[in-house]
Amino acid sequence: MKLAGVDVGSTTVKAVLIEDGKTLWQDYQRHNTRQAEKVLEFLGRMETEAGFTLGDRIFFTGSGAGFLAPQAGGKLVQEVVAVAACVERLHPDVRFVSEIGGEDMKTIFLTPSGTGRSKQVFMQSACSGGTGTFIEKTARKLQVPGERLAEMAYAGMSLHKVSSKCGIFAETDANTLVKTGVPVEEIIASLFEAVVYQNLATLTKGNTPLPEVLLLGGPNLFFAGLQQAWRHHLTKLWEQRKIVLPAERDPASLILVPTEALYYACLGCVEIGRDEPAGVGIYQGRERLSWWVETGQHEQKAKEGGRALVTGADDLASFSEQWEAWRARASAPRGATTAPVLVGCDFGSTTAKAVVLSSERELLFSCYALSKGNPIEDAQSLFRQLGEAGFADVAALALTGYGKDLLKDVLGADVAVVETVAHATAALHFVPDADVICDVGGTDVKIMILRQGTVADFRLNSQCSSGNGAFLQGVAERYDVPLEQYAERAFQAKAMPALAMGCGVFLQSDIVNQQRKGWSAEEIMAALAAVLPVNVWIYAGQLQNLRSAGRKFVLQGGTHRNQAVVKAQLDFIRGKVPDADVVLHPYSGEAGAIGAALCAADWRGRGAASRFRGFATITALAYTSTTSAETVCKWCPINCTRTFIDVQLPGAAGREWSKVRLAPGWERVISGNSCPKGLVEDVNEMRQVKAKLEDVKRDYPNVAELVRKDAFRRARAVAV
Amino acid sequence: MPSWFGRTRSAEPAPSRSKLRVGIPRVLNVWSTHQFWVGLFGALGVDPRNLVFSADTSEEQGRQFGKGRGTVDCCYPVKCATGHYGELIFGQREKLDVLFSPMIYTLPSFLSGHVARTLTCPRVMAAPENIKAGFLKEREVFADQGIHYATPFVSLDEPKLVPKQLFEGLREAVPGLTMEETARAVDAAYRALRDFNDRLRKKSREVLEWCAREERACLLVLARPYHMDPGIGHEIEVDLQAYGYPILWAQYFPIDDDLMQWAFGPDLAAGAIRSPFDIRDVWPSSYSSNTNEILWGAKVAARVPWIACVVRMSSYECGMDQPTYTPVQQIVERSGTLFFSFQDLDSTKPAGSVKIRVETITHYLERYAADIVARKKATMPPGCPLLSAGASAAPSETSPRSDCAGKAGARTTPERAR
Repeated sequence: MKLAGVDVGSTTVKAVLIEDGKTLWQDYQRHNTRQAEKVLEFLGRMETEAGFTLGDRIFFTGSGAGFLAPQAGGKLVQEVVAVAACVERLHPDVRFVSEIGGEDMKTIFLTPSGTGRSKQVFMQSACSGGTGTFIEKTARKLQVPGERLAEMAYAGMSLHKVSSKCGIFAETDANTLVKTGVPVEEIIASLFEAVVYQNLATLTKGNTPLPEVLLLGGPNLFFAGLQQAWRHHLTKLWEQRKIVLPAERDPASLILVPTEALYYACLGCVEIGRDEPAGVGIYQGRERLSWWVETGQHEQKAKEGGRALVTGADDLASFSEQWEAWRARASAPRGATTAPVLVGCDFGSTTAKAVVLSSERELLFSCYALSKGNPIEDAQSLFRQLGEAGFADVAALALTGYGKDLLKDVLGADVAVVETVAHATAALHFVPDADVICDVGGTDVKIMILRQGTVADFRLNSQCSSGNGAFLQGVAERYDVPLEQYAERAFQAKAMPALAMGCGVFLQSDIVNQQRKGWSAEEIMAALAAVLPVNVWIYAGQLQNLRSAGRKFVLQGGTHRNQAVVKAQLDFIRGKVPDADVVLHPYSGEAGAIGAALCAADWRGRGAASRFRGFATITALAYTSTTSAETVCKWCPINCTRTFIDVQLPGAAGREWSKVRLAPGWERVISGNSCPKGLVEDVNEMRQVKAKLEDVKRDYPNVAELVRKDAFRRARAVAV
Repeated sequence: MPSWFGRTRSAEPAPSRSKLRVGIPRVLNVWSTHQFWVGLFGALGVDPRNLVFSADTSEEQGRQFGKGRGTVDCCYPVKCATGHYGELIFGQREKLDVLFSPMIYTLPSFLSGHVARTLTCPRVMAAPENIKAGFLKEREVFADQGIHYATPFVSLDEPKLVPKQLFEGLREAVPGLTMEETARAVDAAYRALRDFNDRLRKKSREVLEWCAREERACLLVLARPYHMDPGIGHEIEVDLQAYGYPILWAQYFPIDDDLMQWAFGPDLAAGAIRSPFDIRDVWPSSYSSNTNEILWGAKVAARVPWIACVVRMSSYECGMDQPTYTPVQQIVERSGTLFFSFQDLDSTKPAGSVKIRVETITHYLERYAADIVARKKATMPPGCPLLSAGASAAPSETSPRSDCAGKAGARTTPERAR
């Protein structure tokens, strides 16, 4: 009698086939959301490669197994029960298990009691914080290939602050770190740190993980750095809590990562299955599952599905016409000139963009550079393009976006404009009677509400990922669909599932859930575009009543280059405000840079000469960046990990007195600080800046500072 | 006496009163009752050097002292208390005898008597019970460390009940404590808190008078008291202060009669409210002390011209704040005052987004603050006491300095972040 154990997880399917305690067959593979298909494939292979036949027994576990198990005659075993059963048999001395999966994490505390061990289980699967996805998502963004990620170290790396509770926030944090020049190796190490911290923080609930410790699941097995992080934290915890360890053993050796770590749930299934009554879990073959894959899933989802993104050929045609009309407003850039021009640069989260306007504020040229993570390289790429195009005389330069402060002095920019103002300026230039601007960028959503031509209110959301383009992009990447083909694919969907509005992390789970029901990539992509406006306006923007905001809406930001998103926006806005006038900004993706250039024009109007350093200087900039213990900000307990980006600039004074010495002819740009204090390198500089800041604070008091200073002061004892 | 008055037996005999070391976690509503506890223990003869508050909240504190003892709670201000407990238990050079973490049921609000109740958030009130669990899970940490854990239930808005509540809650912790002595100490405690609050309200009034005199704008923060904790409110208001705006907090807004009668006179005359501290016109279910104060603060901001901007802070998933977002915003915006909010604050400061928001706020303040003040002044009731008092206001070190008059023309722009 052969026993099969199949674990259908959120990202992979794992299976083992056992006979008389010997493993005949085992494999794991990513299912790329086609769980049923992958299980079917595995069953077929087990039949042909290892002689699995009707009447043998099969047991299923994992988050996706509930529906699939009965299709093959299998019995479902709860995944934690399965893992615990396997641990129980193989590891009598283990007291704590951490199993990290693609989209969930579990801890099991095993406490000896009586003859056996009592088990206490904690798990969470609602949030990506602490899971494998948390690491992979960011690693993908940092373009770290899987093989390299597996080998990257934790031990000995400088760590940086990365949000541990949400994968989407973490990605943004990582992005910021990259921009400030932190090496990728340190960011990855910080992710390992965050995952271990998150597991310990949320899944120990006051218990101390005691040795021996077993680490299971793909991430724990594959990522050497994650294992190192566990070893570091657990041994430190044991030391702190004065846990008595076996004298003859190295503490780190008490943390085990078995080579079979992936298969514990499968093996546990078999373990439990063995004791089930004879008639339970009898393999019925592949027929029903094949039927489901071929036919059943389509029938079921047709019943559940909602309206597609486009309701028919007419709908698509009229949208395309509207799209072309909008696009027609974007006149082709007029090309280079040697006359004085205005340059605006937008250093955004995913791309850096530059536009050139003439003195009459007409668009002459635009270009972009995909952000490689180093703002100076991005800037060089932009100015190289401007120079090659033939521009020579920059009358004013304005910057916006995340990199604006960092680069202002290095490039010799005249103005650094905050993003919100840049985007509003760009919209008002083309649509002077706009009521509402909706700017959806790569990692943030801005909704600006205008009254009488001025920004009266704005909602800026860069903390919530649910409405932004990066999320869309992430899903497209998961399906291996290039972003340019997103709309084409999404418009093909004849029906689509209804995704729930809300937090991006929950949305991810919802997508997994819909995939399980058999919805295809096109359909999910359509649904995601359809839910985006809801997330943008209602969830992230917290704007329930669109009608009260006005009737003329401007859509801009890179995400609105995606036709599927614009179509969904159009339908959503018109659904809320039937007489709405929706306008797509003619230069949707460049709006920030155009706004900056327009601000440069205003600045030039005041008559000063530009500080612009010149093309030759910028493209020849030499720089180094340093992030080390020496660069950590010591001025407050936050201890920001700063990066010193040292740029070679003619005439700069250098910093010979610095711990990170800087020769004359070099300028230091300090980044990674979170307050003005951190821009100051050490005590000498600090004195001056602090004095200035304190002066301001004294002139303009803050009642809370008085509370912080005086409220906890302990008065002299007074006898009653 | 309900059994959840959490108490654990002290392992050693308690030391004498003057040697007694008492630790108080600097969390939650301790941020508005601080001087009450300082006054109380001072009056009971605890040496001031032996009264220890935990440090401001920080992630480091949580990691160092709270790891693995956490509770299931999405409210970070509650959750972070674990780190404060840990710091007081494990992080003291000289061991503590008592860990004092009161379960404050009602607060002594200045709105007391004008609103339905001054209850605290139930989650906040019960935090000491919740947090305690992480220290009893595996071993009796308090007993092991010889620390008496005292969590008296106190109704601070009902002064007559307090002596008995504190006597019951402290008699085992404080050697030789008597009921009479407790009653006297409670009186001293209320005095200490009142003195502190009065002093800050006076300071706030000086700021307002300076603004009125100099035609300058200030900002009002609407938040819960614990948002003053740098680890919870992340000192967001300091970033705005650095651009040259004085910052007031609704909790310490001046409540002098002349100012209140002027600000709320028209509403009183119209019969919309019964007293300046009545919020029935905007918030009928006025049960929660901190919520009431936030709503009242919104009304004040709408009425005082020199408050050009309101900054709202609230923590992630705060169920108490959720229903107040829209009314607070509407009250403030209807008056033409700028309104910006920082929501979902959590353990880390979202430095990037805070910075963008601060820069946007200051951009609009630079452009519009003068107009806003002028517009609000044009519609304010006559006889503003802030204007008449202005000329004689005595300068003091922490108030807007008198020499600011000279700077008003050539305005100093604070050093910006590059």
